[in-house]
Amino acid sequence: MVVEQINGCIGCGTCVKVCPTDVFRLDSKSGKAIVKYPEDCQICHLCRLYCPVDAITITPEKSLPVIVSWG
Amino acid sequence: MEDSRFKISRRQFLTIAGATAGIAAMGYAFRWFSREPFIENESDIDEDKFTEEFVTTDVLVIGGGMAGLFAAVKAHDAGAKVLIVSKGRLGCSGQTPFAKGFFVFDEKTSPYTLDEYVDAVTRSALGSNNRAYTRQVAMYSKDRAEELKKWGFFDSSLCHKPFLRPIKERGIEVKERVMVTHLIKENGVIAGAAGFSLDEEKIYFFNAKSVILCTGAGGFKPYGFPIRDLTHDGSVMAYEIGARITGKEWNDGHTTQAQNPADCYSSWHGIFENKPSITGVEVHHDLGVELNYIAYVKGGPVSMGEQLSQSDISGGPYVPEEFRRTAPERREVSMGESGPPSDMRPPQDGELGRGGPGMMGEIVGGASAGLAIHKSEGLVPINDRCATDIPGLYAAGDALGSHQSGGIYTQIGSSLAGSAVQGAIAGEEAANYAKQVEVQNISDSTMSSIRKEILAPLSRDSGYSAALTYVEELRDHHVPMLVARDLHELRLAHETKNMIINAEMKLRASLFREESRLSHFRLDFPDMDDENWRVWVNIYKGSDGEMKLEKQPFGYWPNGEPIEG
Repeated sequence: MVVEQINGCIGCGTCVKVCPTDVFRLDSKSGKAIVKYPEDCQICHLCRLYCPVDAITITPEKSLPVIVSWG
Repeated sequence: MEDSRFKISRRQFLTIAGATAGIAAMGYAFRWFSREPFIENESDIDEDKFTEEFVTTDVLVIGGGMAGLFAAVKAHDAGAKVLIVSKGRLGCSGQTPFAKGFFVFDEKTSPYTLDEYVDAVTRSALGSNNRAYTRQVAMYSKDRAEELKKWGFFDSSLCHKPFLRPIKERGIEVKERVMVTHLIKENGVIAGAAGFSLDEEKIYFFNAKSVILCTGAGGFKPYGFPIRDLTHDGSVMAYEIGARITGKEWNDGHTTQAQNPADCYSSWHGIFENKPSITGVEVHHDLGVELNYIAYVKGGPVSMGEQLSQSDISGGPYVPEEFRRTAPERREVSMGESGPPSDMRPPQDGELGRGGPGMMGEIVGGASAGLAIHKSEGLVPINDRCATDIPGLYAAGDALGSHQSGGIYTQIGSSLAGSAVQGAIAGEEAANYAKQVEVQNISDSTMSSIRKEILAPLSRDSGYSAALTYVEELRDHHVPMLVARDLHELRLAHETKNMIINAEMKLRASLFREESRLSHFRLDFPDMDDENWRVWVNIYKGSDGEMKLEKQPFGYWPNGEPIEG
C-alpha cells in the first residue's frame, strides 16, 4: 500500500481531483476518500499537499522493477 | 470471433510497452508477461448507459499545465471563446506541478546577449535546436514570469489556485477529468476533439474552430518520475489524423534510487513542497543519460554503482570541448525543475545516493523511461508560431516538437518557461485563426465511430493471445484486445494504446537515425555522423496507414525555408 492511511477525511473530494494518476474515489457509502487504484500511485504526494485537513499519510515503499529506455 | 478464454491484462501491456522502448529491459517484460498473461474482464459499467454531450467553442485547449494555462488566457484575450479540457485538474497534472524553476532571460543580468545565448545553446545542442524557438523562450520569458508573479504563482508551492485566478477572472470554462482520445478532422482541417469523463458515463464531443494541444509528452509509466499520467496522448491523436511527429529518438535520463525507486517525492528531495523560483542564464551540456548509457552498453536494465570510462567504447555521447572546459561545479541539489539537473551523472565508486526521506541506496537510471528531452518530441512545427501541418491544429509546451534546445537539455528552467511562452503564442495564433474560419460540421458517422472506439475496451469480454516486430505485434493484435471494467481502466486502456503507438515511433526513429548524437546512442553506430544526420527525424502516417519516416535538415522549416533566429 502506498497511501498508508487516510485519517480524518472530510469527504471534500480534493484528492480525487488533484491526483494526476486517478487513484482515489469517494466511497459510495461513507462519502470518504478511498484508495481505489493503489497500483497507479506515483508517490508524488500531491494528494497529501492539497488535502485541506492533512488526513493523508504516504509510505515510500512500492516494489516494482525499474526500466531503462535507450533509443 | 474471439474465442480465447482469457484476455491479456492491461497492466501487462503497460509493462511490455514500457520495456519495449527500453530494449535493455526486454528481459523484465517477458518475466512479467509470463507471470500472469491473461485476465478475465467483467465490466462494471454498461456501454449503453453512456450519454453524449456536444460542446461548441472557438478555441479548444487540451491540457491544464503551464502551456494550457497561457494558451487559454491569450486565446481569450485575443477575443476567442475558449474551453480548457484536462485529464486531471488545472495545474495538477503532467509535469507542471513538479517544475520549480522558471527560466528568465534578462539582458541586464545575463552573461550573454540574446544572440550569444542562442549561439551557445546551438553549440551545446550540436545544431539540433530550432533557433527560432531557442530565441523565443529567451525573448518572452520575462513577460510570462511577470504575469505568473501577478497571479501568485511564485508565492505558492501548489499551482492550482494561481492558475485558476486568471481563468476565473476571464470566465474561461474548464472541464477537468475528461480524457480526450480523438482529434477530429473534417474537410482537411481541424473540427474538434472527443473524449470521455472519468467521473460519469459520458462521452464529450468538442466542436472547435481551432485546437491547441498542451498535452505534454509522455513516458511508459516508469517509476520514480512524476510522468505516469503522461502517455503521449497528444502526439498519438495528432498522428492519427495525419500530423507529423518528431524527436522520438531522443531520451531523457532522469534517475531514481535503488531503494524505493517508485518514490518520486523523495527522489526529488521533497522539492515538490518548494515554491517555484526564477532561474538565470546558464547554458549546460549535461545530458543526464549516463546511467541509461551504461545499462545499454553493459546489457542490463540497472547497473548500480557501475561506471563506464570513455575508453570502454568508441564514440559514445560526444561532448563539445567548450562545455567540458566550462562545466559548472556539480551542485548538491539542482533539480530546479523538470529537466535533467546538472548533477545528473553516474554515481562515483561506492557513493550512496543522496535521496530525501525514505530514499536509500545508489542512483539508478530509468526513472523517465520513454520520455524524450523536454520539447524535442511532439508535433512538427511548420513555423515559429506553434502551427502544425493540420490547419487549425496548434501545439505548445512538451507536446510541440519545437526542439527548443534540440536533443539535449541546456538551460535549467527553460522547459517551464518554454511552455508558458509557446502556450501564449499558440493561444494568440489559434484565436486569430478561429476568427477567419467557420466551425466545421462533425458528421454523425464520425461521432458514431469515435463512440465505438472510446467504449470498445469496456465491452470486450474475451481476448487474447503473443524489438520492432514485437511492437507491431502489440499494435496489431493486442491493442484491439485491451479491456477495461470501469472509467479508470478505460483511461488506462486508451493510455496504453497511445504508449504502444509511441513505442513504435520511438523504435523506428531510433533505428532510422544511424549515428550517435546527444541523448541518442547506438552501439552499432557509436559515432556522430554530420554528413548524413544533421537532420530531425519526422514521423507521419502514410497513405497506406503505415508509419513513415523522413528527414528534415537542422535549420530549415518543413517547407525548406531557412529558420531565422
